[in-house]
Amino acid sequence: MALIETLDTGFGAWNPLLWLVALVVALLIAWLIRSRGESARPSGAESAKPYLSGNDAPSAEETHVGASNLYWGFTDALKGYYDRVVPIHSGILTDYVLWFIGVLALVIIMAGVL
Amino acid sequence: MLTAVMAAVVGCIGIAVYGIVFGLFLQGIDRKFAARMQARVGPPIRQPFIDIGKLLCKDNVVPEGALGVVFNAAPLIALAASVTILLYLPVGSIMPLLGEWGDIVLIMYLLTVPALAMVAGGFASGSPYATVGSQREMVTMIAYEFPLAIAIIAIAWRLSVAGIADPFLISTIAQTSVWSIAGPFGWLGLLLLLLVLAWVTPAELSRVPCDTPEAETELAGGLLVEYSGRNLALFSLSAAVKTVAMATLAVVLFLPWNPSWYIAMAPTTAIVADALFFIIKVVLVVFFSVSVIRVMMARLRINHLVTLYWKYLGIVGLAGLVLIVLDAMLGMGVVA
Repeated sequence: MALIETLDTGFGAWNPLLWLVALVVALLIAWLIRSRGESARPSGAESAKPYLSGNDAPSAEETHVGASNLYWGFTDALKGYYDRVVPIHSGILTDYVLWFIGVLALVIIMAGVL
Repeated sequence: MLTAVMAAVVGCIGIAVYGIVFGLFLQGIDRKFAARMQARVGPPIRQPFIDIGKLLCKDNVVPEGALGVVFNAAPLIALAASVTILLYLPVGSIMPLLGEWGDIVLIMYLLTVPALAMVAGGFASGSPYATVGSQREMVTMIAYEFPLAIAIIAIAWRLSVAGIADPFLISTIAQTSVWSIAGPFGWLGLLLLLLVLAWVTPAELSRVPCDTPEAETELAGGLLVEYSGRNLALFSLSAAVKTVAMATLAVVLFLPWNPSWYIAMAPTTAIVADALFFIIKVVLVVFFSVSVIRVMMARLRINHLVTLYWKYLGIVGLAGLVLIVLDAMLGMGVVA
């Protein structure tokens, strides 16, 4: 029964089961609307080729998007921040341990002060 | 619990009809407003309904190289998720159907689901344009979530400091005007947060200047470039329902007043009057945060969009939050 109980924090509430029930009903409604439309064109038709302004479509390997490209807008906008943070990631384990100990010490000091 | 499940099932059908019809009507109004501001006659208000009908008559092309299951499932999930958001939002003085079983944090997460479905659909299209569009949509989502979260958390926090129980529940927020709780510093903070939410709305709805993921002139429609027919119709309906959700969220957070709070009237009259007043508020929100902004601005480049939301609107939002915290700390307004 715990699965269907509502999580009530005193600040807000959340019942995943009710949302799932609503989602299933909403999916059925969406499917009903979709079924009113024309069905898929048979494969092999000229219009089924990806739109590329008349150019030949490159292979899937050539259009693969790397993680660095995926977040380009974000990393470029926050370039000032990343320019400082990226060099710190040296890949040397002892550097990371040093950072960990340093931050832990800072947290303990702050916890003691506050 | 059984009653709640029944409410979810029956309510979902009713709310889907309401969300779709009202959403398409809002899109029609928006197009008319925009046309008039550009000295055009513009399409009739019923044009979005005609467009959906037209799309349902068109062939539904699934491109070669597309991942068919994800490509076809994405529009279904986008529309269904958009509809479920409305179950947690009120209509005038009618409280949300599932208001006791989900709070404003849930709404914030649910707002991301249609966008994620579009991203998945774009990546599944097998088109370079759609891939770039999906990439931009992901970055846009990361950009606007931060200021949106600040605005929501600040208001809920101010309500909790005033000693109001369940401050994150939509029914609580809808029935308590945060303006009446806050003091002078709080009002200033709320005005800043209202400005932030007005700018988050076009990004949530992928409207100009935040339509970078679709960008017709560069990407020919971006993540929707390969969508047509009934699949595109479902994405359009999802956008319409999401317009209702975003405008309602703004109304609930910042303009929760109802005529029945101030004028004594019979219960039925009160519901009708509050609903009509709610429609006016929603239309006003759409006018100022969608129509006006999209008419006066050009599309932002994706890195400029992140700068706008993370730097400028992030700072404005944090300033609003600090003012609201100061307001409570200095004992201005209502403090428990």
